[in-house]
Amino acid sequence: MTRTGGTTIADASSTPDPDEEVRDEEAGTTQEPGAPRKAPWRRVLAAVLAVALLAAGAALFVEGQHLRDTPATSNRALTDTAETTRVAGDVSSALGKVFSYSPQGTAATKEAAKRLLAGKALKQYAALFGQVEKQAADQKLTLTSQAVRAGVTRLGTRSAHLLVFLDQVYEREGKPATTAAAQLSVTAELRGGRWIIVDITSR
Amino acid sequence: MNARTKSLSTWAALCAAVLVCALGGWSYAQARGDDTLAYAKARDAAIADGRRHLARLNSMDGKSSASVKSGLTGWLAASTGPLHDRLRSTREKDSADLTESGATARGKVTDAALTALDERAGTATLIATVDVEITPRTGKGGTERKRFEAALARTGHGWKIKALDAIPVGSGG
Repeated sequence: MTRTGGTTIADASSTPDPDEEVRDEEAGTTQEPGAPRKAPWRRVLAAVLAVALLAAGAALFVEGQHLRDTPATSNRALTDTAETTRVAGDVSSALGKVFSYSPQGTAATKEAAKRLLAGKALKQYAALFGQVEKQAADQKLTLTSQAVRAGVTRLGTRSAHLLVFLDQVYEREGKPATTAAAQLSVTAELRGGRWIIVDITSR
Repeated sequence: MNARTKSLSTWAALCAAVLVCALGGWSYAQARGDDTLAYAKARDAAIADGRRHLARLNSMDGKSSASVKSGLTGWLAASTGPLHDRLRSTREKDSADLTESGATARGKVTDAALTALDERAGTATLIATVDVEITPRTGKGGTERKRFEAALARTGHGWKIKALDAIPVGSGG
């Protein structure tokens, strides 16, 4: 730009080259000695324009951050399809395993629980399973649980919250089977590449 | 020379301002056009609306015929599509029945999650557990625990319930 201005002054009186003419008009207002009072006007205009552009840029940036910065962004439930499916699958199969047992198979269920549960959930389960083990043996009780619906409420990088609907079938030897419904709110944590259940609340 | 430097600095300042504005605009456009963000917001809106409407559909004040009428109006406002049509067609009968029974129910959604969301089609599937506290006109009340699967549809007034099923035991996975 300055280069253009520089040549313009030199060329102003000499060659009326059509190309130069255009530049002449452009740069003339700031550089022509004949019109020095126009310069402040231009400068003010430029300053106002610069401030307006800066303000607009800042406003857009803030507005953009505002759009981004909501609780919605930190929750990846459903937005991360693969991980949502994985956590729902892991938790559903884990619940199916730990809430299913037969009179002969309580040891296997116990083993599964140690692998699939941790923290508070494991403590709750251990307290409950003492009675269950006895009942299963005494009454020849078989329980089969199956997750019929599972939805992910919150999905973070290492922890997730889910709602799972279970159907439970109780079979006592010599009696017709009965079914019951169970609804569980589950908190799971990602440990060693697998989702482990750390808390269970019955709904 | 002085004028030239001044002019140069003016242009530089303007260029910088244009750049700042362009960056701001770009950042805004990125956020605006972020599909994941829009999807996450639709998800949260669907859950919030679904929970509110589900609680309403499980609530009824049966004290007087006026309170039943306003309760039924609330049911219609919470529903859309097939559920809305069904509730409207049985409104007279429902109103008479509910007034006669006089029971009051208060539904509270204890947990809810979306199992599916199609933002483009404006449909979602919600599963939820609801505690319904029932107070009959005479006798002792109690709390019922229910589990539901609701089909939601996006309307001009947010997400509404278009179908509601209590999931029976043994309905399969």
